[in-house]
Amino acid sequence: MSGKIYISRDGLAAAMEKLSRTMDVWTPAASAKDKWGVEFALYEPGVKPILDRQSTLSPKKTIFPQVEPLFQFERTKDPEDPSKTLIRLKDRPDAKPAIIFGAHPCDARGFFTFDKVFMEGPYKDPIYKDKREKTVIASVVCRECDDACFCSAVGGGPAEKEGSDIWITPVEDGYVLEAITPKGEPILEGLGAAATSQQEAAAAKVQEEAAQQVIAGGMKMTGETAEFMKHFEDKAFWQSAIAGCISCGVCTFVCPTCYCFTITDEARDTEGDRLRSWDSCMFYHYTLEASGHNPRPNNTDRYRNRLGHKFAYFPEKYDGMIACTGCGRCIRNCPASINIWKIAQSLKEQADACM
Amino acid sequence: MTTTDIEQLHKLMEDALPELEALIGWQPGYDALHAAPAIARTPEEASRLVFNPFCIHNLARTVAKTPPPPAKEGEAPKKIGVCVKGCDSRSIIALIQEGFLKREQLYIIGIPCKGTIDLRRLMKLAGEDLRAGVKSARIEGDSLVVEGAKGSRSFPLEKVLARRCMRCKYPNPVIYDVMAGDPVIPRASEEEAHKDVDAVENLPVAERLAFWQGELDRCIRCYACRNACPLCMCQDRCIAETRDPKWLPQYMGLSEKFIFHFIHAMHLAGRCTECGECERVCPQEIPVTLIKEKLNRITKELLDYEAGVSTEAVPPFLTFNPEELGI
Amino acid sequence: MHACDPYTPELATVKEVYQETHNIRSLRIVLNDEEKMKNFSYIPGQVGQLSVFGVGESTFVISSPPTRKEFLQFSIMRVGEVTQRIHQLQPGDQIGVRAPLGNGFPIESLKGKDILFVGGGIGMAPLRTLLLYMIDNRADFGNITTIYGARTPNDLCYRYEFDEWRNGKVDLVLTVDAEFPGWKERVGFVPTVLKEEAPSPNNRVAIVCGPPIMIKFVLFGLKELGFEDEQIISTLERRMKCGVGICGRCNIGSSYVCLDGPVFTMKQLGGMAPEM
Repeated sequence: MSGKIYISRDGLAAAMEKLSRTMDVWTPAASAKDKWGVEFALYEPGVKPILDRQSTLSPKKTIFPQVEPLFQFERTKDPEDPSKTLIRLKDRPDAKPAIIFGAHPCDARGFFTFDKVFMEGPYKDPIYKDKREKTVIASVVCRECDDACFCSAVGGGPAEKEGSDIWITPVEDGYVLEAITPKGEPILEGLGAAATSQQEAAAAKVQEEAAQQVIAGGMKMTGETAEFMKHFEDKAFWQSAIAGCISCGVCTFVCPTCYCFTITDEARDTEGDRLRSWDSCMFYHYTLEASGHNPRPNNTDRYRNRLGHKFAYFPEKYDGMIACTGCGRCIRNCPASINIWKIAQSLKEQADACM
Repeated sequence: MTTTDIEQLHKLMEDALPELEALIGWQPGYDALHAAPAIARTPEEASRLVFNPFCIHNLARTVAKTPPPPAKEGEAPKKIGVCVKGCDSRSIIALIQEGFLKREQLYIIGIPCKGTIDLRRLMKLAGEDLRAGVKSARIEGDSLVVEGAKGSRSFPLEKVLARRCMRCKYPNPVIYDVMAGDPVIPRASEEEAHKDVDAVENLPVAERLAFWQGELDRCIRCYACRNACPLCMCQDRCIAETRDPKWLPQYMGLSEKFIFHFIHAMHLAGRCTECGECERVCPQEIPVTLIKEKLNRITKELLDYEAGVSTEAVPPFLTFNPEELGI
Repeated sequence: MHACDPYTPELATVKEVYQETHNIRSLRIVLNDEEKMKNFSYIPGQVGQLSVFGVGESTFVISSPPTRKEFLQFSIMRVGEVTQRIHQLQPGDQIGVRAPLGNGFPIESLKGKDILFVGGGIGMAPLRTLLLYMIDNRADFGNITTIYGARTPNDLCYRYEFDEWRNGKVDLVLTVDAEFPGWKERVGFVPTVLKEEAPSPNNRVAIVCGPPIMIKFVLFGLKELGFEDEQIISTLERRMKCGVGICGRCNIGSSYVCLDGPVFTMKQLGGMAPEM
């Protein structure tokens, strides 16, 4: 037995319903009635999965929510001295098991960047680790590449399985599902009928065709630290590259690898939360110091840092790994249509031209 | 824009460029359905500028908030050139009225506009056909004609134009030094311009609340709407983000989102020129301009004022008149 | 509480409060967990995140030396939301602390060397921890010269222990920006006094901390005196949140000030992205 199963298009809801009894099931669905955008939502009866279109926001929020408490605190009176206030820190609840059903390969690979930072540094992030370990990623082979995509230039690909636990291949009238890690195996047990050899052959064909899509002109990118540093102080280059940048948080919020966060306290009466929430390096306040000094006061400084982080600093720190999956979301959603891929390429081209 | 029009535009740019510090316009974007703001300083750079229905960005914002710095430090800056559509020109007027821009420092190239495309509307109609490999797109009569990978397709403009363009009363720049192309006929009358607000306003209160709850709940507080607004001038000191003093909790609840959007709107009362950029840039497709349209209607009814149509007019919140009309 | 959680502070109690200057206070705190307090160890120059629950967290250097274990001292200038609230704390109040964080001074490489401290204003805080450590291990280090300046005599921190520093065989040069009634020490900006003192760079390491403008001119001065980049150490300021190299904001290029710093040699800084 190959272990591959088949779920018909009509049977998808029943399969998700079954999974949702024991775990959170995140699936891409229309963000609202009549809207074009797709958003990862928790499955509940009535939610219609959209597996053939990229979501506006990556599924990073399933493991790294936009806002979550690091811990909660409570103030009480000291019974021995009522003039004193005592602080009690409350335990965090453990994460629930979850599945991301219908990620794209570029979404799945996004968590590699998180893993390096949150789980492999000198300090580990227990909240992320707990959720990450309990989340299964089921990705759909991608047939929707457009002119903003460049996944295969940064190590991924529309049929690249790395990063996923389950591989979903759309075939006529349904999906062939295959566990590709031990974590994915128990999920598929009893979820559908064994795939027939015709269905498997059809799936293999779909995967082959997907893999043959030519993305970003077949270019390959490696860490560009040297080229980036050459242009670091070239103000004219950055100004012309990001003309129109409005310094909003769209690129970072939609990004599957942008992980930077802020920590703030919110208190009401005698209790409160220390919150971790998404921050954006494109915001002025991100680096603003209490003294009023800001090492990155302009949008060019901030954009340079964002690009540098992904294509130069991260590879420098983590054996050449680029902190970008080429999903193209920041390009598609940028209010000023800024193209990070083109800028990263032009760094290299200009450096080559100088030699 | 026809070939002749674009040639005329390039001629105007070429003539003006020697006297300018820089010229802000649009360049082709990552595919034929996108354009991007650009700063041109040389004739070669200017020759790459374009105008098409994908020049959706309001360049008044760029010239007001992130103007190109002088090429040579220490020298007196020359004028900055800026290309404007009708809506962009109204923002310029409002910015001049409020003292954020000086008329004499600008060289304005006005471009009559037949409308800009809402890509999500287009994608909903076109689906797979236009996902990749689009070669070109242009307005022909009442249609958008797209040369896609699978051949030519035509879409009725009223199905693909941005909402702001469907209700546009000022397609022709209101302020300019030169005009490129012939004026176009406004698409909407005064009444038509308010029909979207009417539709929401005519909902029973409970449904209206549910409408806004549903829409604003999708907000991710990326602040693109605020940052794209040419008239949001607090910029880095916006109360949405300052921690000292702190006004808005970091929670992602509906109430925090409501507060932010209504503060944003209130700060634009009597100022907003309805360029629709806040709505255009929203990655979550929230019709945030509607809130400002409602405020503008109130301003019009109470104070007989419309923002961004005359540099001579004094915005109602920049004056105090005890015998204010209508109040 | 979850084990090994880098975000959850230890609870501590404020024991003493010193008003150092009109806008700088020192707090002496003790961890509530006696065992943890007893075993608390750190390197001079390492920092801690202080929490006022409901207001937030900020990063400060531990300005007391690990050789004096009865409390942890932090000197805090009132500049923002969190520091404002820290200034309101009184003995007995509860505070959160995550420490030690960051790298600290390269103690081993300083042993046997002559030392030059150059501090300005609140910039003395990270130098003080090392200075006291050296006094407590005096035989390990050569001559110690300290040039410390502030706007006025009332803006100098740690006035109550200048005598102790001098008794610990520290050549202490104090200076203020302008003449001041009753002031008997030097008058002039720190970089100028440095020039007058002209310490030799031979077998000496300079450790500099103060406002950016002071650091800038002190660095010029040190270069003129012949100090090499690897002989100059400074501590960096950056907005920090997590303090453990995860949240992303305190990077300079691929280095994180909270993790790889805040102590850097000028040589290290020279190799980093020019983004200060």
